Amino acid sequence: MVVMDELNTHFLYPAALFASKLPHRVSTILGSCVAVCLFDPVLKIGGINHFMLPFWNGQGLASPKYGNIAIERLLEKMLTLGSQKKNLTAKVFGGGEVIETNISQFHIGERNIQIAIEMLDELRIPVVAKSLGGKLGRKIEYNTGTGEVKQKYIERSITLK
Amino acid sequence: MEHKISDNELLEELKRRFEQNKNAVKELKSLNDELKTVNKKLEESEAMKSHFISNITNEIINPFTSILGLSRAILSVDKENWKKVVSMVALIHSEAFTLDFQFRNIFVAAKIEAGEVFPEILNVDVENLIEGVIESFKLEARKKKLHVNLEFNIKSDNSPYLFKTDPEKLKLILANLLSNAINFSFEGGVIDIVTSYEKESLVILVRDHGIGISKENQKVIFDRFKRLDSGINSLNRGHGLGLSVNKAIIEMLNGHMDIKSELGKGACFTIHIPETDIPATDFASDANETFFDSEEETF
Repeated sequence: MVVMDELNTHFLYPAALFASKLPHRVSTILGSCVAVCLFDPVLKIGGINHFMLPFWNGQGLASPKYGNIAIERLLEKMLTLGSQKKNLTAKVFGGGEVIETNISQFHIGERNIQIAIEMLDELRIPVVAKSLGGKLGRKIEYNTGTGEVKQKYIERSITLK
Repeated sequence: MEHKISDNELLEELKRRFEQNKNAVKELKSLNDELKTVNKKLEESEAMKSHFISNITNEIINPFTSILGLSRAILSVDKENWKKVVSMVALIHSEAFTLDFQFRNIFVAAKIEAGEVFPEILNVDVENLIEGVIESFKLEARKKKLHVNLEFNIKSDNSPYLFKTDPEKLKLILANLLSNAINFSFEGGVIDIVTSYEKESLVILVRDHGIGISKENQKVIFDRFKRLDSGINSLNRGHGLGLSVNKAIIEMLNGHMDIKSELGKGACFTIHIPETDIPATDFASDANETFFDSEEETF
């Protein structure tokens, strides 16, 4: 895949956001975090976020560490790049329960998934593919120029955020 | 054959429906309460936003006004009166320093909120880095006749001691803590910076003996631009954005920050930062080792 290898690469850290007019190969590692990949098939551009917690509680910085902020910001960024909301499609990944805990209220993965699905639904952005939940972490690689996402499962023994 | 409903059955059914309605009302009420709470939170957030702007304005306009006023004054000073000029230049420098520092925090905060900040890990000479931060605040400390004490309790075989972390972020964290310690100290006081290595983490404590932070206020100091409302504080600069920026970047480095403080007895902030080759969530570089032989799927 020569073409693939010529792409710029970017490693997306938790709580960060990435969107670009140039095609990139963006990789990120997800445990209970969720990543939403937005793609505009008309302009052939894409953006991705990586959030750790569902909601910003109004304290501290309103960073894309939180799902409600991360999804809003990503959409804003796509619109600034010239996308029209009606063209956008979404792919959603992550939200595994990778941290072994017996305390049920800590189901962060599940709550992260919920906010992603609910917000995309509210925004009327169709989710065209997803791989969510489970007990494993994921590594994904998003080609922002084609919208294609490659995924591998990863071991759970590693401490994932 | 039509089924005839007995009075008893009718009564039962009515009772059941009544119970159902009661439950529905209860649910609606709790939903309503929930909405009210969310609404209140939103209002608070909105109020905080305007608070944020007004604070930014204060923290930028005040130093600018001083700089403009002082530089104008210098232009009209008699040529013989150099001493006066020097002291005014010192003030200008101090205001510009504060302004520069505020801007840095504002820009970092904006970048964090835009999701554009990530750790950049290097081998860091921690002692040298801390000394550099103290040095950069030398004039500020001297202005209040403060003594900044550095105690470096890490022994290392290789000298200097190197620690893998993000130097720029560590610098900003320390600068924010030291800046607060200076602002909230009484004149002539002492500030201690104590560095140690515990449980595979770098631990840095910054302690002042100034006005301190009450228990209630300790809960809110991480809110961006929340300034504590007490008389004395109005004479000082606020905590500003510093602590919320600190919190965000310390979390990014997988560390945490503790506060110990009593009103009137100073404040002690301790940061714990674990050593990382690469941030805990980034194992992209040795990805193949950590991966299952799981099939690659395409979505």
